[in-house]
Amino acid sequence: MSFLYATFRKDLARWRQDMMAVLLWLGIPFLIGGLITSMVDGGDGASPTGILLIHDKDDSLLSGLIAGAYSQGQLGELISVEQVSLEEGTERINAGEASGFLIIPEGFTEAFLDDEPVTLTLKTNPAQTILPGIIQDVTEILLDLGFYAQAMFGPEIEQIRNADSIAVPDDVFVADVAVQIQDKIDTISPHLFPPAFDVQIVEPPPAEPRPDIALLFMPGIVLMALLFSAQGLSGDYWKERESGTLRRLVSTPGLLSRFVYGKALAATVIIAALGGTTLALGFLYHGLAWSKFVPSLIWVSISGVGLFAWFAALQMLFPNQKAASLLTSILLFPLMMMGGSFFPLDVLPDWIAAIGRLSPNGFVVDRLTRELTTAADWTFDASSWAIVIGLTIAGLAVCTWRLQTGFARR
Amino acid sequence: MLTVDNLIKQYGDFTAVDSVSFEASKGTVFGLLGPNGAGKSTTINCISGLLSPTSGHISVAGADIVKDGKNAKRSLGVVPQELALYDDLPAIENLKYWGKAYGLRGPVLASRVQEVLEYIGLGDRAKDLPKTFSGGMKRRLNFGCGIVHKPGVLLLDEPTVGVDPQSRQRLFEMVEAERDAGACVLYTTHYMEEAERLCNSLAIIDHGKLIEQGSVDQLKAKLGARDVLQLNGKFPATDIGAALADRGIGDLEVISQEDGVLTMTMSSASQHLPTIFETITSAGGTVAETSLRSPNLETLFLLLTGKELRE
Repeated sequence: MSFLYATFRKDLARWRQDMMAVLLWLGIPFLIGGLITSMVDGGDGASPTGILLIHDKDDSLLSGLIAGAYSQGQLGELISVEQVSLEEGTERINAGEASGFLIIPEGFTEAFLDDEPVTLTLKTNPAQTILPGIIQDVTEILLDLGFYAQAMFGPEIEQIRNADSIAVPDDVFVADVAVQIQDKIDTISPHLFPPAFDVQIVEPPPAEPRPDIALLFMPGIVLMALLFSAQGLSGDYWKERESGTLRRLVSTPGLLSRFVYGKALAATVIIAALGGTTLALGFLYHGLAWSKFVPSLIWVSISGVGLFAWFAALQMLFPNQKAASLLTSILLFPLMMMGGSFFPLDVLPDWIAAIGRLSPNGFVVDRLTRELTTAADWTFDASSWAIVIGLTIAGLAVCTWRLQTGFARR
Repeated sequence: MLTVDNLIKQYGDFTAVDSVSFEASKGTVFGLLGPNGAGKSTTINCISGLLSPTSGHISVAGADIVKDGKNAKRSLGVVPQELALYDDLPAIENLKYWGKAYGLRGPVLASRVQEVLEYIGLGDRAKDLPKTFSGGMKRRLNFGCGIVHKPGVLLLDEPTVGVDPQSRQRLFEMVEAERDAGACVLYTTHYMEEAERLCNSLAIIDHGKLIEQGSVDQLKAKLGARDVLQLNGKFPATDIGAALADRGIGDLEVISQEDGVLTMTMSSASQHLPTIFETITSAGGTVAETSLRSPNLETLFLLLTGKELRE
């Protein structure tokens, strides 16, 4: 046992001399993760909103209603209306600072009431696609609505307009106009009601709140750091062999299995430090519940040692250090690609995600993602833990076997 | 202390070590001499447990290296031919680690490490990394790692290869000190002068077989007072040995004659040189180069194998 501890301390001391490599294992995922997060993270995840600038030269009740129509209901969540002067509106739409600029001309109300042609000017931002289209469609609907209102209730509107001269319309006048309007509605009602089609409103099942896309990246970034460190740490077996220390070891009474477990213990500390740092920053950035930190750290640490063990076993199968290093490095990128480090498994096509979840790192990422993106406490999934711990022990056993069957003796 | 009995190591059809047997006792240096590829390192690797013998027995301090490897290895110290150090671990930590690998702990380990550091002349560089050391310093540390646990049997596999004369001298002194402290030292080399200086007894190995063994004095006695004369040139097809014997050089023996090199042994060779040249020239031959060596282990090796030790 003491030799295991001596090997553990020896390896930690040696890695301290090579801090640059250790920092690189952390730095590369941080750089990639930072870039990805900054690209995909739009802040609070709210829908994009557009700005509609309105210059109302008419400044009447009707023009005010037009301007207000853009702020009603769900439209108001998409479009923010700002009243501006002509100069400001022109300047801002030309600068691309708004989705649209609507100019309501002077005399708009008069023209509407007189059923005379009138032109509203809408300038849209060519740099945007969706929001200017919505603004244009809404404007056209409003104008169509005005046209049909004029067509149906033109006499009544004319009556009301002529009554402007009356200071306070009497009850008879109001009742007369109301009755005329009601008559027209009654006349067309059989054609309108019941409607020719029935609309059944189906409420979609309450969807789980979709997690922030940057959060989906986080487990993959953590595993990227683990993969880099596991691959780098595993290369130490070759380094030891090239320096002759493995041969010297075989001639000592120190057990090779204890040597392997000592190295694995040192790797655990380094992997836990790197994984812990990455996780801690992720928890801070995404505001995750700290109650999940410790199980997450244990999960990634054990998984990282498992990856280290299998990378080491793989490296020891190659005939020389160069081939071992090259081929395990090449293996890293497909693993990261499939296992959710470059693209979250949740956004990959189903069939690719299914394969990715079967990869060693994808399995770990998938489990970690589920735990971090749900509000519930960490659930103890015995089979997942058994798989990871079992594979880790198996990997270390293969390493010991390779040392005993020739790798250490050459 | 160290017994090798009928050791055979085969790789497929190739026999690297063929029925090698020898014994080395406490407080002595046993030399294993031979040219590169003779089987010295294979023998050492079998003794140190790096290779499994095909057959035969090796006993280290009474423990069989195959059947009771752990106990055998406790008594074994190995100084490999190639450096076997952690370049990125301070010298003192290297010594501590290998001491722990041999089971040393606590104050015993600490005091022994300090002792070895002073002994190998690295006391003032204890905390430095070996990668900052000169070749000789690394060799000394390599030696220190092999003796940190005070082994009963010390295996030294060509420890002076690539070492400057000053460090070589220091290594000799350390080997002698280990011997004087009671260790059984197995020393392989292809430098005869090292063997003559250090070894109490020797075994000469070539093509995996022991061709001669005994004490240095015994081996030298086998050579007698005969010189070795080596001539390079063109030699007639006639039996030169017989021709020279006819001319009165009675104890002359031709060891080999191939590729324009004629090797002979005789007593007082320098006195016979004019006769030898004349005989060869009169038979139609020429002599381009002459080498005359007085008796030593190197000439013994030449006599036994017909070739130079460093070939």
